[in-house]
Amino acid sequence: MATTKNIPENTANAPANLSPLNCYGTPPEAITRREINREPTPRAKRIRDLYFDTKSSTSVEFPYWYTRRWMELEGEIPIIRRAEALKCAFSRLTPSIFPEELLVMGKTNYLRGSYPMPWLSESYFMAAEDKMYQEAVKAGKLSADTVTKWGKGGGNVTQSAGNVLSIAGKFGLRKEELPMLMEIARMWKDQSVEDVGHKYEQLVPGYKTKEAIMRSVICMFDSGYTLPQGREVINYYYPLQYGIDGIIEFCRKQTEAVAGYPDMDRLYFYQAVIIAMEGIRQWFLNYAAEAKELSRTETDAAQKKEYDAIAERMEWLSSKPPRDFHDALQMCWSYHVAVLNEDCISGLSPGRLGQVLYPWWKKDMDEKKLTRERTIELLECMRMKFTELDCFASMGVVGGVLSGNTFNNLCLGGLTKDGQDASNELELLLLETGMSCATPQPTLSVLYDEKTSEELLMKAVECTKIGTGYPAWVSNQTALNFIMKNYAAEGMTVEEARAWSIGGCLETSAGSWMPLTLSGNGRTYYIPGGSGPATSVGVHFVSTPKILELVLFDGVDQRTKERVFPPHGFALNTYQEVWEAFQKYFSETVKVLCLCNNIQHDAWRKITPPVINSMLKPDCLNKGKDIGQMGSRYNATFNIEVCGSVNLVNALASLKKNVYEERHFTLDELKTALTNNFGFQTAEETGSYSLTEQKKTGDYMKWASVHSRCLQAPKYGNDDPYADDIFKTWEQWFCAMCHDYKSLYDREMYACQISVSTHGAMGAVTMATPDGRLAGTTFADGSVSAYPGTDTNGPYALFNSATCWDHSASQNSQLNMKIHPSVVKGREGSRKFLELIRSYLRKGGFHVQFNIVDSRMLRDAQANPDKYRGLLVRVAGFTQYWVELGKPIQDEVIARTEYEEL
Amino acid sequence: MNSVHKDCANYTAVDVFKGHCRRLKEIKMADETGCECFTPARMCKFCSHYTSREEFLGLCMEHAVVYPDLPAKTCADFLRKSDG
Repeated sequence: MATTKNIPENTANAPANLSPLNCYGTPPEAITRREINREPTPRAKRIRDLYFDTKSSTSVEFPYWYTRRWMELEGEIPIIRRAEALKCAFSRLTPSIFPEELLVMGKTNYLRGSYPMPWLSESYFMAAEDKMYQEAVKAGKLSADTVTKWGKGGGNVTQSAGNVLSIAGKFGLRKEELPMLMEIARMWKDQSVEDVGHKYEQLVPGYKTKEAIMRSVICMFDSGYTLPQGREVINYYYPLQYGIDGIIEFCRKQTEAVAGYPDMDRLYFYQAVIIAMEGIRQWFLNYAAEAKELSRTETDAAQKKEYDAIAERMEWLSSKPPRDFHDALQMCWSYHVAVLNEDCISGLSPGRLGQVLYPWWKKDMDEKKLTRERTIELLECMRMKFTELDCFASMGVVGGVLSGNTFNNLCLGGLTKDGQDASNELELLLLETGMSCATPQPTLSVLYDEKTSEELLMKAVECTKIGTGYPAWVSNQTALNFIMKNYAAEGMTVEEARAWSIGGCLETSAGSWMPLTLSGNGRTYYIPGGSGPATSVGVHFVSTPKILELVLFDGVDQRTKERVFPPHGFALNTYQEVWEAFQKYFSETVKVLCLCNNIQHDAWRKITPPVINSMLKPDCLNKGKDIGQMGSRYNATFNIEVCGSVNLVNALASLKKNVYEERHFTLDELKTALTNNFGFQTAEETGSYSLTEQKKTGDYMKWASVHSRCLQAPKYGNDDPYADDIFKTWEQWFCAMCHDYKSLYDREMYACQISVSTHGAMGAVTMATPDGRLAGTTFADGSVSAYPGTDTNGPYALFNSATCWDHSASQNSQLNMKIHPSVVKGREGSRKFLELIRSYLRKGGFHVQFNIVDSRMLRDAQANPDKYRGLLVRVAGFTQYWVELGKPIQDEVIARTEYEEL
Repeated sequence: MNSVHKDCANYTAVDVFKGHCRRLKEIKMADETGCECFTPARMCKFCSHYTSREEFLGLCMEHAVVYPDLPAKTCADFLRKSDG
């Protein structure tokens, strides 16, 4: 059996003077490139080249018109006021069409544009001008911002230059727009969701503890005003089936049916939808007009023809449902942007788009109106549009949590309504274009079922091998079990559960089958789409190692020296007392965060009710209720999310073994060692955030023995019952306790376990931990990934550890693995790789994903970012450009154990 | 008139630094001086309804606060200044 080894420092082609890398097995001498490299079509390549040279840009245009109209309508019914503001903003948004685009529309006039939504939160901008910044820090609102570092390369505007201001080291804003942005921010002061929510959350008993929790970064952010929607699956059904005319006509009829009758909110909802749709219609027409204008001045005949086609298509879709595949794809994209422009959203997933679009595609292919080549060109253009998306939120959220990603997850496979393999030929082309046009968005996931076709699975393996990090591999069966457990009370059936998909990076989301009738062939297709609201809501993210730190130091944060919790009252004389004290602090944290979060979301639904997303989500239109009024078919979507669980488990194992069982040292001796960071410099001092690259101080030998024992203690990921029993105890307790808390909608909450990028930011503020991890270094990623370098018994041992608990008790689990490209080379390598994936999912694992990469290449990329603008890596539930990741996350990805054999 | 590329009707902004000149079919830097074909874009600062109040802020039709660089391509009330 192979064992984990360190790659020698001076391997051929590897930079010298670097610390060793974590490997299971022995890597080849030379750096190995990925086996498969594909190129996009010439059109998509030119669009991608332009994207590579484009900076993330923010515009005030949409918030200006939204705010101007909102302020004009004081006293109006809130949802009508909201719809009018949206209508005004969409109608006014400047249309931009870039050369060779086949799909048009974006969030702003910029190629990679975004904008702030001060109606959600304005303090971020006010902070730059007056004393609110200090007040906000005091209130615990922005503490995460102060510990977040951005990637320096790629499309981030990291520094102000000329007439461009850098906001949060990420977004560029034209200097001419800053005064207006500040004017708008001032208009929303005391009226934004953040300010109103903050006013009332202070009435929650224990609110002071909540403030201390946020300052301590035990919790990463408030979702109510930062990302109030998202990590959900959009539903394109209504516009695809009825078009704007049909939706407005339906709402007019419903208006007549409900006007004057009890439950009057329905009247206002239908009116709001009509108003918003009028804005969307004008938005389409503005693009049609722009295309006509471009055609008028265009000298190139081919480009002129394309502009004419865009104009005709946008004019048609401004009122009617799509006629063909190109129309349908444009329609889906347009509504995707429309929802993203309505609210600050991270993780609006297109879901099973290949199955949604299949009816049009098949019809066009059968009628010889479409070719495979044209499909690929269109799908590559779609990839570019999704990749151009940006989300403007605060530094702490966009950088520390999201790593600049927008999490549009496109899923493949799964089952049909009647339980058969749902994969189709269009999904094969989606995988093909995921390879040829490798970009972060949309990321892909395979909903693996025993019935999934071998052809799709092998294509997906080929795609995984290309090294983009997608598709992720997800168990259909485990997800169905989760869906039934959590939504049966709301009427979910096994048949409908099959319509599920991933929302965001890895959030199992309820769906439904909608009957689509295609004009022309009269056939009815049942297409899957999201039927539940956001799962980005609830208690997000709780740092479990940080809570353990507070347990060991009786409620006092060792970074800020502030008391967060009252003394827990345990002497910590036994391991059981440590565990009970942890449960106590963790429960206190969840309780106060849950209550405050419910208030923030109540403010959100009252001030900025979602109109467009509600129109799309079954059954809001039928009920006449928006999402905030539980118009969705399924509403139990609030969750409790944790980070750092593997470090928690390893730390508990070390405590149990070293302090309480074998008594190698006392708890006080361990605490002293932790306080002194085991004699190492801090991560901030070294500028590196992985355990392998830390530097010793002169006092190292004082703590070497303790540190050695901590490192040698049993570790999760090795099929070792000692650590795995602790892991199982934690998971069973955590997944069960979530159901003790209720959401705003009076539904039980559930566990959610993904790290996104919080393992970097939260690790940065956490002292050394009893598992030997050093202060400030990044936690283990995901939720069932081993801590880098500690999984020494190979992948199957890791699988046994990861599946020692029931994954369907949680919305997700997340396993990231790094495999050297040479291991999966060739057809035989692909087969072996698929069997590896299968074995994990068959054991009950929910999710696994891979970086197929030579770690030495990542090091080279870190040293020479200019050579690697297009390099993609898988972080947690998402793929991102290497150069746009913060250094803590880069260090963590490099440090992950690299498997040299399976 | 500050005739830089970003104020030209032929300019489509790609990002805050640069844009695409539809006439020349090439990328131009936003703040560089425009060419002889410069044609003022539809922006509030080129509209007769706009009055300047302070740097980067003004009024639209004497009542609504607005900023001079606000695009007006979609504004039905845009009325080009005689010198714009």
